[in-house]
Amino acid sequence: MLVPLYGFLKGDTVGLVVLVHHDHKVGQIASSLQQAATCRVAPRPAAGVYFQGKRLDPDLTVADAGLQALDRVDVVPEDS
Amino acid sequence: MLKRDEWLDLARKLDWDYSYVDEKEIFPEVPSGRPWLPQAVWRDWDEPYRTSYTEYVTNQHAKDASVYAVRDAVGRVEDAQKLDPSWLNALKLHAATLPLAEFAAVVGNLRAARFGRDSAWRTTAAFGALDEFRHTQIPLLLMHELVRWDAQFDWTHRFFHTNNWVAIAGRHLIDELLLAANPIEFAIGTNIVFETGFTNLQFVGLSSMAHAAGDKMFEKMVSSIQTDEARHAQIGPPVLKVVIEHDPAVAQYLVDKWFWRSWLFFAVVTGFAMDYLTPLAHRTQSFREFMEEWILDQFQRTLDEFGLRKPWYWPQFLSALEIYHHMVYASAYTYRATVWFNFALPGPDERAWLRAKYPRTWDLMDPIWERVTERWRQSGPGVEWYSHGATPVTFCDLCQLVLCGGTPLYNTAQTLAYEGRPYIFCSEPCRWIFQREPERYAGHKDVVKRILAGEAPANLLELVRHYFGLTPGTWGRDVVSGAYPWLAG
Repeated sequence: MLVPLYGFLKGDTVGLVVLVHHDHKVGQIASSLQQAATCRVAPRPAAGVYFQGKRLDPDLTVADAGLQALDRVDVVPEDS
Repeated sequence: MLKRDEWLDLARKLDWDYSYVDEKEIFPEVPSGRPWLPQAVWRDWDEPYRTSYTEYVTNQHAKDASVYAVRDAVGRVEDAQKLDPSWLNALKLHAATLPLAEFAAVVGNLRAARFGRDSAWRTTAAFGALDEFRHTQIPLLLMHELVRWDAQFDWTHRFFHTNNWVAIAGRHLIDELLLAANPIEFAIGTNIVFETGFTNLQFVGLSSMAHAAGDKMFEKMVSSIQTDEARHAQIGPPVLKVVIEHDPAVAQYLVDKWFWRSWLFFAVVTGFAMDYLTPLAHRTQSFREFMEEWILDQFQRTLDEFGLRKPWYWPQFLSALEIYHHMVYASAYTYRATVWFNFALPGPDERAWLRAKYPRTWDLMDPIWERVTERWRQSGPGVEWYSHGATPVTFCDLCQLVLCGGTPLYNTAQTLAYEGRPYIFCSEPCRWIFQREPERYAGHKDVVKRILAGEAPANLLELVRHYFGLTPGTWGRDVVSGAYPWLAG
């Protein structure tokens, strides 16, 4: 099942729609969002995904992390 | 023969006591507005212009003759071709957002001309409706000549008829403020906040910018419109005075709500023009300086005059004044094919100017432009897509603008669940406005929700072409397609 999320990349100016599959790993959210914002923000090798203020385990699936359609997630490059 | 002052009030101040029907049947609360008060309360309503119909027609005829003269002298395609290409896009932006919004204001004024609670109010609103017809027709007339040269000028008329994301945001604002508002909300939201607070002074600033840019036609257009705005905006103060006396909470709410909504609209339209699309050599002050000098001072005086408080979100507003339009411009630059005008890439000189004008926030914005510049350097001129986004952006469920609140360090988007459905807002004030009247706003879908509902395509190119109504001949580009001399060095 596809799960559209509101993604906010630290360093960027606008939120983007991130479309992930429910069995994708949380870490894929970070790479998808960084790729989508690449013309404004250079991608970094490592980035954490935050939901409701907590850092999510990147190896959890989107479903296991409890993410639902149109939730807000924040992606924070780890070297920033 | 009676002198003017002896007969004027017989023409404009003509109320009487009803004997066949109840006053509430003639002025029901829904179309007349809340608080509903008997006519006796409104009896002293007056405004300073006290114009007669003869005077109105004579003055407007002279103003129109003056506009036509300028059009005949400098309104040809060859005149527009002499203007800076960047400035032309400030013109396209204003030309599209102005005329049909003014046409909606005809409706708002006509509702006040019928349901305003005092006859002098109704008379002035009738003149206001005639004004707004004029403000619709002038830009349509002046820009029409330019369509055969540049198809983006066709959006002067086309804009509000499309599902372009800016038009959706514009309609969400204009429909509520001008088409649907009762005369009391219209007087406070439009005449006090939107006109007295913003457009009346903004048009003075725009006229000055157009003068500096050598655009005599636009200068004349906005200065001519401004003289009308200054008159019919005078409907607002006497209405606000009565509402404050009888229901101050309603007055404060309407001022707070419409200041925030108006601010977002002006930040995009005027902020873009002042800080990015006006050539550097012609800029006289930054958008923030203009707002502080002209808009905030005036608004503060209005609040003081009426004993109102600053809106509760004032600290958020002052923060937004430093950066919000920069956030939207940078985002829109990298989604420029989604709109009908072109964008200028700020070069080293422009960025130095912006840093000087926005010392508290520019360090947060500059890395974005460094990255976009780097992408242009890598691609070379003409490769628009390499500095353009391909993923749909997100939109606020209240203002319908992109989620660009806050700073690059932290976006202020706020979520809310209402009746089991998720909503998202660009800011706390937008969420607050939604929560005050959720039944009014909850059914409206932003662009993302239209995509998810299958009403609009998810693919950005399809969205731009088939939903936003743009073509390769009209969608926005960089003004020189990346061929900046400083970029080559």
